[in-house]
Amino acid sequence: MTLIIENLVKKFPKEDTELTAIENFNLVVKNEEFVCILGPSGCGKTTILRIIAGLEQKTSGSIRLDEREITGPGQDRGMVFQEFALFPWRTVQKNVEFGLEIKKVPSEERKRIANEFITLVGLKGFENSYPYQLSGGMKQRVGIARALANDPEVLLMDEPFGALDAQTRNLMQKELLRIRQQTKKTIVFITHSVDEACFLADRVVVMTARPGAVKEIFVIDAPQPRDRASIEFANLRKRILAELEREVIAGPSSPSNSPEKA
Amino acid sequence: MKDNPLRIFGLFNRERFLANMNQTIFGIAAIVTFIAAWWGFSIYLNLAYVPSPDRVVWAFFTSFEKTEISLGTNMWGNILASLQRFGIGFVFALALALPVGLIMGFIKTADSFFKPLVELFRPIPPVAWVPIFLLIFGIFWGPVMVIFLGVFFPLLSNVIFGVKSVDQPLIDAARTMGANRITLFKKVIFPYTIPFIMTGITIGLGIGWMCIVAAEMIGAVGGGVGFYIFYSESIGRYEFMYAGMAVIAILGIGTVGVSHYVENKLNRRMGVK
Repeated sequence: MTLIIENLVKKFPKEDTELTAIENFNLVVKNEEFVCILGPSGCGKTTILRIIAGLEQKTSGSIRLDEREITGPGQDRGMVFQEFALFPWRTVQKNVEFGLEIKKVPSEERKRIANEFITLVGLKGFENSYPYQLSGGMKQRVGIARALANDPEVLLMDEPFGALDAQTRNLMQKELLRIRQQTKKTIVFITHSVDEACFLADRVVVMTARPGAVKEIFVIDAPQPRDRASIEFANLRKRILAELEREVIAGPSSPSNSPEKA
Repeated sequence: MKDNPLRIFGLFNRERFLANMNQTIFGIAAIVTFIAAWWGFSIYLNLAYVPSPDRVVWAFFTSFEKTEISLGTNMWGNILASLQRFGIGFVFALALALPVGLIMGFIKTADSFFKPLVELFRPIPPVAWVPIFLLIFGIFWGPVMVIFLGVFFPLLSNVIFGVKSVDQPLIDAARTMGANRITLFKKVIFPYTIPFIMTGITIGLGIGWMCIVAAEMIGAVGGGVGFYIFYSESIGRYEFMYAGMAVIAILGIGTVGVSHYVENKLNRRMGVK
């Protein structure tokens, strides 16, 4: 599996002009790679992920999964949402089975697959609970299990731990690394936390402020598990943070002074 | 914390018990005050149309036992007749408001088409239709149609509102899992709308009962509680008129209460709202 993003451009209509959200974004995500996309708020990082997921249309450029051009949503890409997006009227089990139902997988097989992933994310015993009975961390475990149950080629995660408290967040990061090791999934992960990116990623893509493009890519070859208290970790954080801060201070360029491309 | 040991087992919660008790005490006090004032006024005014509470209670029970010769039935028969009209009107309203509301919420063009019509007819009180409905639909279907209108609009509004308030992330999630428009509707939008439908039903029931009395007062065949109220007034048996009003109140409280109970259960079950 290779995910290739070439010259991706996204423009939104805004009043009588156009707002360029993403401009010439290029990235190649390799098989089994964990890539974090990091950027100041409003830089279009979530938009990129939504275009990869097929939830939004690109203005121009190309996104290919292996050789197939992505034009809409598909089960080859699983997505995990910041808001969890669990179906409140479905139990944990039924939430995880959702995609399998759509694929018309027979009931017995569905149950078997769902149980496998519920166990993987550590929710065994909660199959029949409803989302409102779960804590935030548990809800996101369901979100991950649900996305993985479809056996996607790439897992897209949109600030998945952003709504969790600090302790739960750290725990979930460790859990995600464990799940990744067991499933060998390719992951594209959006975050605005430098710490999170440094802890998780093989590569960290730092984006420019609007219009969003790749500013710098950091390769992190420190082995997992990483020690947050180590000097190396602190140095890495410092470097990325410096890069990111420059963009935050620069701020988004307004539509009028962004380069026009008629 | 030093506390009642029973509390540990969840058998006794002092605060909740006291809060409930307060509510009950005030509730009883309000009813007692009302009945006492009513009784006082009925003695003081000494008017035929302000009978004392005990007369009304007597009339209430009598109305169930004694067949009213000119109506050919007792209160049970009237209740049955009203419930029948109410039930048919209600089922029709549900059968139409549900699909129309779902389609209006889901398909923009349908919304653009139906909305002006809905906005045009919604403000007209259902009761205003009674004369013409009697003329067009006759004495059985006329009142039924009035109930239909009373239930239809609040239900429709709630269904549309339900469809439009579906969380975008839920739709996104379903789409990333391969849902097309039809599965999206069946597996996400419709289930999401169910609690809103229940709220619409609760509101519609309340309005429906208001309509039935008015509809039956103008004309009804085979009895009806509304008709009974009107009839009792016309022959000057005011205590029976009040008894009929009490019956409507009980029917209203009963149906709305059941619907409200189901609504709460559903909301909790669905985790929505």
